[in-house]
Amino acid sequence: MSTHARIHPGELLISLALLALGSFVVLETQGISETQGYSQVGPRLFPYLIGTGLTLCGAWLGWQALTGGWRNVPLDDGTHAAPDRMAFVIISAGVLLHMVLIGWAGFILASTLLFVLIARGFGSTKPVRNLIIAAVLSAVVFFLFTQGLGLTLPAGPFGGA
Amino acid sequence: MDTLNALMSGFAVALSLQNLLLGFVGVTLGTAVGVLPGVGPALTVALLLPATASFDPTGALIMFAGIYYGAMFGGSTTSILLNTPGESATIVTAMEGNMMAKRGRAGPALATSAIGSFVAGTIATLLLTFVSPMAVDVALKFGPTEYFAVMVLAFVTVSAVLGASPARGLASLFLGLTIGLIGLDSQTGQARFTLGIPELLDGLDVVVVAVGLFAVGETLYVATYLNRTTDTIEQMKGSIWMSKEDWKRSWKPWLRGTALGFPFGCIPAGGAEIPTFLSYATEKKLSKHPEEFGKGAIEGVAGPEAANNASASGTLMPLLTLGLPTTATAAIILAAFQQYGLQPGPLLFDTQPELIWGLIASMYIGNVILLALNLPLVGLWVKLLTIPRPLLYAGILIFATMGAYGLRNSWFDLALLYGIGVMGFVMRRYDIPVAPVLVGMILGPLSEQQFRRALAISQGDLTIFVTQPISATVLAITALVVIVPQVWRLIRRMRASAIGHESPV
Repeated sequence: MSTHARIHPGELLISLALLALGSFVVLETQGISETQGYSQVGPRLFPYLIGTGLTLCGAWLGWQALTGGWRNVPLDDGTHAAPDRMAFVIISAGVLLHMVLIGWAGFILASTLLFVLIARGFGSTKPVRNLIIAAVLSAVVFFLFTQGLGLTLPAGPFGGA
Repeated sequence: MDTLNALMSGFAVALSLQNLLLGFVGVTLGTAVGVLPGVGPALTVALLLPATASFDPTGALIMFAGIYYGAMFGGSTTSILLNTPGESATIVTAMEGNMMAKRGRAGPALATSAIGSFVAGTIATLLLTFVSPMAVDVALKFGPTEYFAVMVLAFVTVSAVLGASPARGLASLFLGLTIGLIGLDSQTGQARFTLGIPELLDGLDVVVVAVGLFAVGETLYVATYLNRTTDTIEQMKGSIWMSKEDWKRSWKPWLRGTALGFPFGCIPAGGAEIPTFLSYATEKKLSKHPEEFGKGAIEGVAGPEAANNASASGTLMPLLTLGLPTTATAAIILAAFQQYGLQPGPLLFDTQPELIWGLIASMYIGNVILLALNLPLVGLWVKLLTIPRPLLYAGILIFATMGAYGLRNSWFDLALLYGIGVMGFVMRRYDIPVAPVLVGMILGPLSEQQFRRALAISQGDLTIFVTQPISATVLAITALVVIVPQVWRLIRRMRASAIGHESPV
């Protein structure tokens, strides 16, 4: 398995992203005004150091990616060969919809939908069963945490609140 | 006040009806969640952090300690029956314990792991009780210079020394440090890296980051890459009890595992990974049945499990006495303290003795409860393993999103949660460790604060870090832990090529 002979685009992309983020930190640091206070060092030094460190790590990993791939990566090619992209999309949709809905539809409805979508993402083919479990679980969690443990969660249209 | 008196008053706190109940609820919840496949101790404590929010600090932390311990116990059950280690420290248990289970000896494997964890946890808590006052005496001599040096040591060991690749470990650490920069600068009150978003002024919450990485990231990863495989759960056949022979083969590994685990937990060496592997190697060497190792030797479960638990208690030593988290889980526990405006460290032993000693006392009690809870009820926990994967992860995400949203009822935290989840997914896919992110984001701001204080004292003289004896020693150790493994690797490579066969990188 000499998969490391070629360049992994993913590895290179992550390296470049780290490099870009590091450079961004360094650039953005210049916008922090330098007030020293009691200390000899202002609020700029650590961001500079950290940004530089991140940039160097990105460069280091980029160099590795170009010269035979990242070092000591476990050989998971079997698992990574056929990603289930649909699962990723459905689960992402579930989490993002939940984010949009929770404010006005309330915790119980948003979480029920989240549950059903995640289960679907994992290939469950029993939507009715999932819906019932989801609704019961969401309701139990909602009342347990808001009534019993004092957490504030949005009740939504059915909450009467 | 001497240690025993302090401990006794701690027991008085821990044995109050409310705290006893909270401890009991904590270990039960911790076990139940920790048993779930794919949920390690770090995620368990992060998910259950919101559940503790409404209690007084002492009660909440006692519950929290119980959750931590319970998660450790529960994780072992999963490792043995399912061979899916929740974290790197249980890899050995997963390997050897699962082989035992395959040979129909799941019962004794679970028993030796539970009793070993109890023995190790109790001895380690005893050690914690009597060593931490000494550590506090040392810690009281620490100034900003020394604190900074110790944090540098923690950064280096957590990222560069452990794990498969120093480059990826450091990248992860710097990512965490960058996340830690976001928010108001503690010294001047200036906003940094908030990009004009008011929600970012307080910085990123540890719960959001931990839950994002461990729950959302892991869910995305498992669904995308691992959902085609099916787990086989080993059946619990026969008796749960250990035979006389099992006892004879277990008790020494328990003690040796404890002896290895506790000191490794105390030093910033990335938690339980090293001591569990060392314990496994030791037991293999000392065993009268070395041929059984790899096929289900009871010593290979007893030793590493004891080491794992002893190390978990050991981790609390730098956390309580110095405020220094050395693992992902410890970083989240530190966040739990900070939730109440408490900063663990030597001063906390003075200002909040009833909290610290109540916590330590509750660990003795928690261990007993766990043993009572785990052995007879193991059948019940095993049932949790049979939850179908779609329902399991769907349920985990309900709690994950609730934890993030419950912080301040803002959709922004859910957006962050998803973003960090995608980051966790990518990191998992490309084998970048996530623990350094958490340690970096927690320790980054603290280390900056100490660094600036140190320079304020020395009036800008950087040599203060090498002229102060303690700080110089710690930094020298840091240099050693970086250099020695490299030199060792070089020597081995040279020796290998001298013999004639090139070692394959």
